[in-house]
Formats: sequence, C-alpha cells, structure tokens
Amino acid sequence: MPALFPWWANSVARASLLVLVIIVVGVPIALMVWVRTSFATGQHANVKQPIAFDHRVHAHALRIDCRFCHSSAAIAAPAGLPPTAACVGCHTTALNESNTLAPVRASLSTGKPIEWRRVNALPDFVFFDHSVHLAKGVGCETCHGRVDQMAQVSQAQPLTMGWCLSCHRDPAPHLRPESAITTMGWSAPVDAAALAERLMRTNRVQSRTTCTTCHR
Amino acid sequence: MSDDHDHESPSAMDRREFLRLAGASIALAGLDGCTRLPAENILPYVDNRPELTPGLAQYYATAMCVDGCATGLLAVSHVGRPTKIEGNPDHPASLGASGAIEQASVLQLYDPDRAQAARIGSARTEWSAVAATLAPSALQSRVGASGKGLRLLIEPTSSPLDEALLARVLGAHPDAAVHMYAPFSAERAGNDLVPHYEVGLADVIVSIDSDFLSTGPFNLRYARKFADNRRIAGPSNPMNRLYVIEPGFTSTGVAADHRFAVRPRDIPTIAQALLASVKDPNTRSTPAWVGAIARDLTAHRGRSVVIARDASPAVRAIADDINEAIGALGHTAWYAPTPLIGRSVRISPFTELVDALRSRAVDTLVIVGGNPSYTTPASLGLSSLIRSVPNAGYLGLYENETARDVRWFVPMSHYLESWGDARAYDGTLSIVQPLVNPLYASITPADLYATMSGQSGTAYELLRASWAQSGTGNTPDAWTEALKRGVVAGSAYTPAPARPSASPPRAAAPTGATGTIDVVFAEDPKVHDGAFSNNAWLQELPSTITQLTWGNAALMSPATAHRIGVANGDGVKLSAGERRLEVPTLIVPGHADDAVTIHCGYGRIGAESVARNVGVNAFAFAPALFATDESGVSVAHGGARSTLAIAQTQPMMENSQPVRTATLAEYRASPTTVGIRPERVLSLYPEPAPPVGMHGPNQWAMTIDLATCIGCGACVVACQAENNIPVVGASEVHNARIMHWIRIDRYFGEHEAAVDALLQPMLCQHCEKAPCEYVCPVEATVHSPDGLNEMVYNRCVGTRFCSNNCPYKVRRFNWFDFNKDLSETELMVKNPNVTVRERGVMEKCSFCVQRIRESEIAAARDGREVRGSEIQTACQQSCPTNAIVFGSLSEADSEMVRRRQQPRAYSVLHDLGTRPRVQYLARIRNTNPDISNGV
Amino acid sequence: MTSARLESPPAAPPVFPAPPEYPVLTFTGEDRELTDRLLAPVRGVGIAWWSLFLIACAGTALFVFCMWYTVAKGIGTWGNNIPTAWAFAITDFVWWIGIGHAGTFISAFLLLLNQHWRASINRIAEAMTIFALMNAGLFPLLHLGRPWFFYWLIPYPATMGVWPNFKSALPWDIAAVTTYLTVSLLFWYVGLVPDLATARDYVRSRFGRMAYGVFALGWRGASAEWRKHHIASVLLAALATPLVVSVHSVVSLDFSIAQLPGWHSTIFPPYFVVGAIYSGFAMVLILLLPLRRAYRLEGIITTRHLDAMAKLTLTMALMLTYAYVVEAFIAWYSGDPHERFTFLSERPFGTYAVVYWLMIACNVVTPQILWFKRCRTHAGILFAAALAILTGMWLERFIIIVTSLHRDFLSSSWQGYAPTWVDLGLILGSVGFFAMLFLLFVRFVPFVGISEMKRLRHELAANGGKEVGLPHA
Repeated sequence: MPALFPWWANSVARASLLVLVIIVVGVPIALMVWVRTSFATGQHANVKQPIAFDHRVHAHALRIDCRFCHSSAAIAAPAGLPPTAACVGCHTTALNESNTLAPVRASLSTGKPIEWRRVNALPDFVFFDHSVHLAKGVGCETCHGRVDQMAQVSQAQPLTMGWCLSCHRDPAPHLRPESAITTMGWSAPVDAAALAERLMRTNRVQSRTTCTTCHR
Repeated sequence: MSDDHDHESPSAMDRREFLRLAGASIALAGLDGCTRLPAENILPYVDNRPELTPGLAQYYATAMCVDGCATGLLAVSHVGRPTKIEGNPDHPASLGASGAIEQASVLQLYDPDRAQAARIGSARTEWSAVAATLAPSALQSRVGASGKGLRLLIEPTSSPLDEALLARVLGAHPDAAVHMYAPFSAERAGNDLVPHYEVGLADVIVSIDSDFLSTGPFNLRYARKFADNRRIAGPSNPMNRLYVIEPGFTSTGVAADHRFAVRPRDIPTIAQALLASVKDPNTRSTPAWVGAIARDLTAHRGRSVVIARDASPAVRAIADDINEAIGALGHTAWYAPTPLIGRSVRISPFTELVDALRSRAVDTLVIVGGNPSYTTPASLGLSSLIRSVPNAGYLGLYENETARDVRWFVPMSHYLESWGDARAYDGTLSIVQPLVNPLYASITPADLYATMSGQSGTAYELLRASWAQSGTGNTPDAWTEALKRGVVAGSAYTPAPARPSASPPRAAAPTGATGTIDVVFAEDPKVHDGAFSNNAWLQELPSTITQLTWGNAALMSPATAHRIGVANGDGVKLSAGERRLEVPTLIVPGHADDAVTIHCGYGRIGAESVARNVGVNAFAFAPALFATDESGVSVAHGGARSTLAIAQTQPMMENSQPVRTATLAEYRASPTTVGIRPERVLSLYPEPAPPVGMHGPNQWAMTIDLATCIGCGACVVACQAENNIPVVGASEVHNARIMHWIRIDRYFGEHEAAVDALLQPMLCQHCEKAPCEYVCPVEATVHSPDGLNEMVYNRCVGTRFCSNNCPYKVRRFNWFDFNKDLSETELMVKNPNVTVRERGVMEKCSFCVQRIRESEIAAARDGREVRGSEIQTACQQSCPTNAIVFGSLSEADSEMVRRRQQPRAYSVLHDLGTRPRVQYLARIRNTNPDISNGV
Repeated sequence: MTSARLESPPAAPPVFPAPPEYPVLTFTGEDRELTDRLLAPVRGVGIAWWSLFLIACAGTALFVFCMWYTVAKGIGTWGNNIPTAWAFAITDFVWWIGIGHAGTFISAFLLLLNQHWRASINRIAEAMTIFALMNAGLFPLLHLGRPWFFYWLIPYPATMGVWPNFKSALPWDIAAVTTYLTVSLLFWYVGLVPDLATARDYVRSRFGRMAYGVFALGWRGASAEWRKHHIASVLLAALATPLVVSVHSVVSLDFSIAQLPGWHSTIFPPYFVVGAIYSGFAMVLILLLPLRRAYRLEGIITTRHLDAMAKLTLTMALMLTYAYVVEAFIAWYSGDPHERFTFLSERPFGTYAVVYWLMIACNVVTPQILWFKRCRTHAGILFAAALAILTGMWLERFIIIVTSLHRDFLSSSWQGYAPTWVDLGLILGSVGFFAMLFLLFVRFVPFVGISEMKRLRHELAANGGKEVGLPHA
C-alpha cells in the first residue's frame, strides 16, 4: 500500500515542534516587551491642544516661572491650569489680535472654559501630589522633561508604577535645591553626592514605598 | 461656590460618564498600569478664584434643623461640592459631634428623588408663576382683604428671619393664621417653656421613657456630657449612674446602669411611686427598686436629676415634682423659652386648623415643609381635608404624600443650598450658610414669606436686613464673625425662674382590658418622623438593638411573642376599634412584656423611590395627635410573613468574649481582672520591639471605650460618607453582604435578672501580625511602616482568602458593581480622595489613611513631622461620646495612649496573637448595690 | 546512565508468596481479536454513545452559560457572603483535583510497584486524570473577583515592579496544578503512541489514518523505538510519582495555613492526599465498570481488577476514617474553645449536621461492605459504592470549607450559607463537561493499552500462565 505521508512529513513535524516551543516562550516575552514600549505607555505621544500654546516662548524665551501659570503646584495636589483670565492678563496687550488666541477670547466672552487635553494621565487609583514632591526637592523637569523645548507638550516619562518606584526606592539622585525646582536643563554640581545627602537631610526625604503613599 | 467645574475631572456635565470610566480605567490601568488611559479633558476656570484652590478642601460653618432646633455644623467642600459634614465644636448642640442624621444629610442634598420643578395642578411651571398668585394683592382677591380664608401650616422653625417675614405676612392678611406641626415636637411656641437638663452636673440620672441620648434636640450634647462623667481614667475615679425606665430598648437604655422594662400603662404609677418615696423615704414602694432609686436620688441631692422629656404630660409633671423635691430644679434641671418662633407672630394651635378645614373655612392653605398628610394620624383624615381646600399649596423637598394632596407645589431648598438663620434648643443663634447654589429650581421658606408679604430681594438680602434690624450682627465684623464661628456668642436664652406654672392635670394611669397590649409609637433615631426615610445611608444603618435595616417591625419581648405565638418575621395584626395594622414581628430581649414598639417614619407612599414601601406606617394606626403610646390594643398572629434585613443574626457571645464587662465595684476590687494587659498575652516567639518592619515615626492605633459607647451609629454613617462606601439594599443585607467598614456589634447578656445589651464598634483591628496579609497571593494587603494594615484595591484580584483568615470578619467584598446605577448627583457626594472601588475587590477600614497621608503632606510642605493628635478618623470625629480616640503610639502623652494604659484595656481575641492596634476599654457599669433585679 | 540500568533485566524476579486468587487475564483468543475488541469504538459507536454524548453536551452548555453569567455579573450571583467567602466553587475545585489523583497513582505508582493488573486500566485512569484537572483548573480562575488579572499570581517581571506573595499558598497552587497537568498529559500521550500507530494501521478512511498517523509520530514498532519508549515511560513515571503526593499536599495548604478552626491543622496534607486517591478510585470504578460491560471486556478487566481496586479503596477509606477521628480528638485534646466548637458541636450537630452525617455514611460506612469478597467482586455493588464515595468526598470538602467559615470566632459575624442556581449549575455543568471529554476519548482513543495487553499475554504465556514478577510494563 502507498506511503501514508510524503517524504518531507518528518521535517514538517520537527519544524512544527520548534514553532510550538517558540510560540509558548515567545508570546509572553513579546507581551512583556510591548508593555514597556511607548505605544503602551503613551510616552512622547502627540497630544493636539485646542490652542497652539508654545512653552518654548513662555518658559524659555520669556523665562516665565512654571508656577506663574501652574500656580497650585507648590500648595496642592494638582499643579493647576491657569484660568482664562490669567492668559488675558498678558494678552490684552501682547498679540491681542492673533488668531491663535481666538479660543481664549471666546472663552472670556462666553464664560466657557478652554478644554485642554490631558497630557500626563495617571489612573484614578493613583493619588499623586505635586506639592509634596516640590517640597522634597523634586524638580518639574525630573518628570515633565524639557518643557521649555516643547512646542507641543508631550508625556516625557513612561509613568509606569515601576518608573515611580525607581525614584521612591532611591530618591537621593533625583533631588535638587529649592532654587532650581523649576529650572529647566539643571545639571547637578560636581559634588552631586554631597548635595543629595544634604537635601535628603534638610528636606526630611525618606524612601516611601508603602502602598498607601499613592493608593488610597 | 456657584461654579461647579471640577479641575481634575471633566466638566460636571459628564461627571457620571467619568466615574464610569474610572471603574473601566481601574481595570485597564490594572494591566501593569501600562495600557493607555482614556483620553480626558482638563477644564480650568475662566475667571480668577483666589478663594478656591482645586485639591484643597474648604470648611464652611452652617446649621441643620430637625423640628426647628439647629445643630451647628462644619461642611466640607471640594471645589464647590459639599461631600462631608462635621460637627461645629463652638455650637452648644454639637460640641464638635454630629449624629447619623447630620452625617447623612449631605446625601439628601444630592438625592435624585428631590422635587426638581414647581407645578400648578399637574402642569410644570416656574416659581415666578406661583409667586404671582401669592402676592398680597393676588391673595387678597382670593381670601378677602382681611385674609380670613388664608392659613399657613409650617414645620417647626426657630428662624428669626422666618418670624419677621411671617409677621409681615400676617400684617398683610390680619385674619390669617399660622400653625406649626411636627409629630414629635410637642406643640410649643412663643414663650412656652421647654425642659433643660445639665447632664454634666448630675451624678445620678433617672430617665423616664425618654431616649435623651439618641433622639430629640440636644441629644448630641447630652451624650457628650453624659460620657464625660463616665469615662473613668482609673478605678478610683467617680462615675455617674443612669437609671432608665422605658418600654422599648433604646440607646439610652443600653447605656443605663440599671434598666427597667415597664410597659407604658404602668409608667405613671411607677413615677408616682418614685415621687412618693422621694418625698417620704419610709414609704413601702413597690416594686422595691423604686425605693432604691429614690434613696439614690435624695442621697445625691442637687447632683441628681430626673429626665422625663419625652414622657406624657402627666409623667412630666410628676418628674418636675421629683426634681423639685431633690433640689434639681433650677440646678440640674430647669425650664427655658422654646427656641421655636412665636414671640412677634402668633402661632395658632394645630387643632384650630383641623376645625377650620372641617368647616370648609379655608380657601388658601400654604404648607411649608414637613409632611403633615403622612405624619398625622390616619384617623384624623388630614389628607382628604387638605384635598378639599380649593387652593392648597406645598413647599417641600419631595413630591411626598402631602404634595399629592395640594394643588400647587414648589421645591424647597436643602439647608446646604439656603441662606437663613436658626436657633439651637437653648436659643443660641446660628447662620445657615449655603455651600452650593440650589441644584434644582428650589426656594427657601423665606423667599415664600417675602413674596406673600410683598417684599423683594434674595434670601441673603432678606437675612442681612433682618439681622440689621434685630441688632445682632448688624456690623460687618459681627456678621463675618457669626459666619466664621457658626454661632452668635451669648445669644442663648436665659433660664426661666420657675417651672411652667399651670402644670397639666394629673391623668390617672390609662387602663387596658386584660389580654390587650400597649403599643408605643416611637420616634425613629434614623429616619426621624419619615423626613429622612429616603436616605439610603440611614435606611441601611442597622438599628442599635435590633440590628434591623431597611424597615421597621413590631418589637416585642420573647414572652409576649410566645404568648401571641409568633416568631421573627411572622405578621401580627394590631387592632383597636376601627383601626387595623399588620406588622412583621421582631423579638427583642429586654423589651417590656405585653407591649409592642413600632418606629414611625416607614411605610412611605410618596414619590421617593428609596423610601417607598419600606416597612409599615405607624401613623396609620396612631390613635390621636401627638400620641406616643396607646393601651388596650388587641394583637393576634396573622398577615404575611416577611423577611427582615437584619445585619447581625446571632444574639449571644458564644465561644469568645469580645466584650468584657465589670461593675464599678468589681473593677475597684481587682482592677486588673477585667482588662488584659499585653504581658498576659502569651507567645512562643520572642516579642520583636518594635514589631518587624514598623519603624515609621508614627505608629497609628485606636482605643475604643465601651463604657461610653451608646451605639448611636454616627460613626457608621460618618465612615460611609468619608470612604465612599456603597449601599447594597435590603436583599443584599439579608445575604450578609453589608459593606460598612465599621459596624456596631450587639450581644445580649444576662445581667442578674434582667437582659443587658453589650455594644462593640468593630472595625479592622490593624493587627501587627495580620492573618489577612500572608495569605494574599498578590500582596494586595500589606503592612505599612507606620503600622497600618493597607488594602490596595487596584492590586486585589479578589480571592477573598484574606476575609476567610480574618478572625474579626471586618473585610468587605464588592460582590457586584455597587456604584453602577448611581445618578449623576449621587456620584457628586463621593470623596475625591478615596478610590471608588470596582467590582470584585476587597475593602475594609483603612484608619482613614487618606486623612493621614494628607496631613503628612501638609506637614511636609511646612517642613515638619506630623503629630498623631493632628489626625482624626471620621468615626472618631463624629462620635458624640468621644468613645473612639485615634492617634500615634509614639505620642506618649496623647489621650489615645493614656487610655490604653488603663487596667481595663484589652484587645479582642488576644489569644490568637494577632496583636491588634485597636484596643478596647472594658465596659464598666456603676450598679446600685441595693438593686439586684435589674440592669 | 539510567537507560543502561533499566535495560538490564532485574536479577531475581520476586515470586508472589501465594498465587493470586483471580487470574489477571482470562481473555483467550488471537491477538487480532484482542485488537478488534479494543478498537471497536474507533470503528464507530452506537445510539447509546450518542444519547450519552448529547446529554453531556447539554451539561457543558450549562457550564459555559453559568461561567459567562458569573463573569458578566460578578461573584454576587453565587451564594457566597461574608463570612462564607469560599463555598461551592472551591469545593468543586478540590473535588476535581482529588479525582485527578487516581490516574497517576495507578499508572505511575503501580508501574513502579510492578503490578501487572494495572496494564488494562491505566489508560482510562490517566485520561480521567487529565479531564478532571481541566475542570479543576477552571474553578479557582472563575472564583476570582477579577479573573482578568489572574496572571498577577504568576511570577513575571511586571512593569509595576511587584511580585506575587510567595508566603501565600495560592501561587504554589497554580504551579502545582499546572505541573501535574503537564506531566500527566505527557505520560498519557507517551503511553498512547504505539496504540495510535495500531489505530493508524487499523482504520480504513484515509483521513482517519492521517489523523492517527500524525499523532503516532511515525511509530513503526522497531525494537529501538520500544526501548526508547520504555525508558521514557519509566522516567515520566518516576517524575509523576512524587507529584501524586505533592499536588494535593499543596492544595491542602490553601486551608491549613489559615488559622480558621477546622482548617488550621497539620494533618491536612496526608489527609487530603488519601481523600484524593480515594475519590479517584471511586471515579475510575464509575467509568470502568460500564465500559467493561458495554464492550464485553470481562476477559481483560477481570474480577482480579475489581478485587484489587476494591481492596485499595477500602484501605483508603480506613486511612480517611483515621484522619477524621484524629481531627476530632486533637480538637478535643487542644482544649481550644473554637476548635472544640467546630469539630464537636458545629459539624456534628450544627446548621449542616445533615450534610456531615451524610458524608460519614458515604465515606466511612459504605466502604465497610468491601470487607466482603462478594461485594468486592460484584460490579453492580462496586458501582453503587463508588457513586456513594464520590458524593461523600464532595460533601467532605463542603463541610471542611463552609462549616468552618460560616461560624468562626466572633458570633456577631455568624451567618448562614445557601447556594444559588448558578452554584448548582456550575457543579452539574462541570460534570457534563467531564463526561463529554471522556466520551470523546472513548470514541477516538484506544481506552485500554493494546500493546501493553499483548505484551502481558505473551509474558504470561512465556511463564506458563504463572504470574511472576515480570519485567514491568
């Protein structure tokens, strides 16, 4: 009687065994890699804002301190977004005709708030507090990156729990003096270690990894 | 406050959708917190708001009235959203405490069942349209220039503003009349005198049929003062003694050192006997304990008092005689003018209104607040009388029973939406300050009266005007001071020199045919007279003694139940004359025999969806106006069986002794027996000090004093409000799935002859060696360096192993998505600082960790360490008796630490070696050695 | 090298002290007949099979529906509550895991212990094991409040920077069960290969031959192949044997690491393993006896088998009874009021007393009939006894879980427990699912090891029908 299988059947069998192993091992690894990519974390994602607000102009060229607009960063959990009135404060004189600012004028006249798009989003079960991070000496730049170089602000860090923990487990290297809290492009002095050690002491910084630090 | 935009969440418009997403994003983000979150907008304010920083809570002083008597409160607001109520320490009725009703009132603000639009007939309309028909000229054309056919029926109020405006209304309609009605505030107005008691000065207190610790005006104050003289720091300290003579089993009865269950028909006799033996110690009094009480009262002459506030007028008069005889009157007991209005405006008796209605003499009846169609005895037929009025109108919170009977209806503003003023029971004046603009098109009574007296202006303007005239707070400083502190200093009424001159005639003790029983129509500590029966938090709060939720029942003693032949849930038929009522049975050990207690405020049939058909309506059976009990009612087994949603089914303590108790004498004889000192807890392991991993500067702990807990339930509701705890409904309570993080366990104990109830607030014990922690496969519950047993909702996968291994069974599981069907407004009551839990996760008491962490952050901002005494848990903050204290073990001089160093301190199930951070102080009862047959 | 040692025949084959009462094989016929007999179902099945199969499918459908309903609405659709946070689902889980123990015990243990009679029943036992484990695996998963996060129990480098809690028994549970499933599956398949080859050469349709051919992995029956096959089976047997003990020991830790009265006990691992094998044997009998009848296999699955199985079952019953007694005694001896309450008051006289005594009747009383040879060798009686025991073992798990939970330390949290229709649907459905899988197995796979049977015959023939310690397998 004729052979049941063609001559290449064995090779196919072996090959398929190999493929099976690759799938079993490969898929989990692929997933673990994927969740670390910016596709999953939203890092550097392009977020279109209703107004082409350029941080390069305000933060870099005009040297406006972050806290001028994000006024509650030092005193409350949210950093705060400026009310339309704050924009108008300057722009009654500067560029008061510009089309870019049309939405601002509209907001002022209608009383409807400007709908900004959120860039740095955390899950609802994470209770992040800007004020305490500032108080302990963590600079804006540490998490938000070189905002002064962003025409359009995007998420600078992965914002994964692991990323948070990396600093919460060892805060020292991420601290800077109060004078440099809002500084962009700050570089640690030569005696970085000594400075970190001093800041840890003066700002009473401890490694805080207990769950309710962020989850309540 | 008007602008309700929430900075950190999408606009108020789609907040509901946002909260839904919250649930979803918890699930998504759970995937390693790496899956992208749903896109979301941020809405800043348009104009500058220096007074308001998103993320920082604000506190405003205001006041809430029950039957017209104000309790001063501090309301917490998050970006214009009131989310929590606290007591105002400066206010005499609060002293910093707040009851279950005050705590739950914030949920009532957001109640989606609240009336949302005015109507004339069945046609929706605006308030302005109604207002047009109420202007003086318009009304006079209806009811004549003298206003003969005009009547106002208002709920009791103490507001000077209302009084001033009502005076003007009567000015415009001289022959009109104002009536005031509420079922449980005995009809007093103007210069009538009301009884006051200085519980704090009394070493011996006798309460006759008066639940003064948990109901009625000033109950929070009384509870606080009562507890202050009971919280003994050591065996040698003095302690007050409380005798309670009552038919039902109230919170006051639980707190008593000796409680005597007496059916209503015998109470006057007992009172008389007490008076007799007080006057002449040699009288052979029966029963014997009356003599013992009398001796105790006279022995503490001037430091004792008899409280009969809620008893019948006859008994009240007898009590006054006793107080006079023991030198209490004018010292620990006195009379003062009622805070209710009636000085500059005449308040006519309610019965006059009924007569007028019967004689069809009323053309226009304006009802303000209350719910008379429901809260008056059905036999009175008020409902149909109101229907017969050509032009009846109602200003109310809900489209309730009364609203059904009137032609036009206008929604009333919640107190958190209203400008106004009110007096406390002692007359102290407070401003009622709104936290939000009215959510719906509602008005305040002041707006109504202003319209009827032809005045214009907002409630605020009217208030400022009336204050300017009254002289109080007419200067801006005085006004702002009153706003800030929540009270006007020195505005309390001065005590009247004597007791009310014409004391009512001594009625002979009512007699009932043998075989019949007495029925008590009790004010409900939770839903009052039904005013709060649409409040799910209060409906789901287990009653202190019965542990009953979602409804009422015929409470009776085991003996009585046995005589009638009924068991729990069986229906009983009550009948007296033409009146019939079917009620489910609930057996209460310690209830007076041959008597049945039914709580009022249930069996509602209005448009309130939560309250509808929950329990039975006791008013439908009540014999007469203001009747609190009735004798000679015949009772029989019959009617449908019903399932009662009872939170705790087991009556006794069984194998363990969670509640430890001793009499004061025993405690003094051997102080160390009742408590369990740590060294008495044996372990095979060497004690690590400090416990492993607990090195934080603060070590959080709690001490609960069982000697002062009266089981009022304020802590339970406060916790529910603070921690976004869902309501599960009657059937799920019956399925043992109630979600409360703190519960008040009730055990019945035999103390000598009589039944005694032991109470114990039970919450997560935050064990140093927590059994729940090591069994969790994903470390969703772990220990913090500062000694908290943390529960991480977003890590929990829901194996429920932790609950199995928790010997205290204080963990709660989200069996369903309990927040799924909440309305947009109900979601606004959620505390933004606490996660709204998803389906399928465990939850439990966190020691209000959000408050701890926020205080730590605030301290860090000023570069200092937080002190334990800075932080109060929600339960502690509301507790009227200060039974709960929270703090840090490292703060050696704190009240919390000092208490747990007492010899009567112990921890529950200590022998399991869990080392709980919650410790209890054994209950000490100051019994009278002369009495052996009572508790 | 292992293989080398195994290849060399054992020095002195042990001779039975007394010749066994019943011969291990009474089938007298050609090898060809044997093959025909054993491959009959592969040729095709009758109306009986189809009707049973349809019922099983209905059960499976119910199973799927109840699972969907639970995941869609939440665990609230079950009767569970606080305090009784575990109930039916965990009972079902432990029950199925237990059943899954007989397979490996029979194949591996008895293989190593050189029991020839296992040859004709190990295939069925192994298949049963695998299907039982498939059921068992579903319940803990379904039991999670948020099943979609089940993978958090598995140690892997998460971006959260956190790991499972290795102090808890549950991550180990997953490891134990999955390991057991994998090994059992391999063991079963390896044993199956030669028979699949037989089937390949036996069936007529080209598709059938292809199908069997693929899974036969080109088996030709060359002596080299036989040698390798033999080594593989023995290695896997050695690997599987410790698992028989370890898996249910780990499962028992799910309870004994808790301090709950009735759970917190050091006797649990052996107690659970014994119970597991006990219920497993019961299930084997329940599956074996009807097959034996349906396919007239009395010559292959002989009285000898029934007798041996019955004896083992009785042994397990006695060991389990011992465990029950010791538990109660220790509870009394400890003097701990909670332990005493659970064992001496709540279980025998409390809310679920009826269930408790039913369990005693099934697990302790029923097996005593197996002292009698008449009962040991009577298929009908054995079948009935097995049914009783299987029920009893389910009740035992229910008693352990629910009576301990619903009344523990503080009486304030004492509450009753009652299952909902979903709870009942899940257990019934899982039985249906199991039946469906087993029927498919009977239909498409040789359910008695053909090659092993043939080898056994020849070895017996070689020894003049005398059953001596043959070189095993």
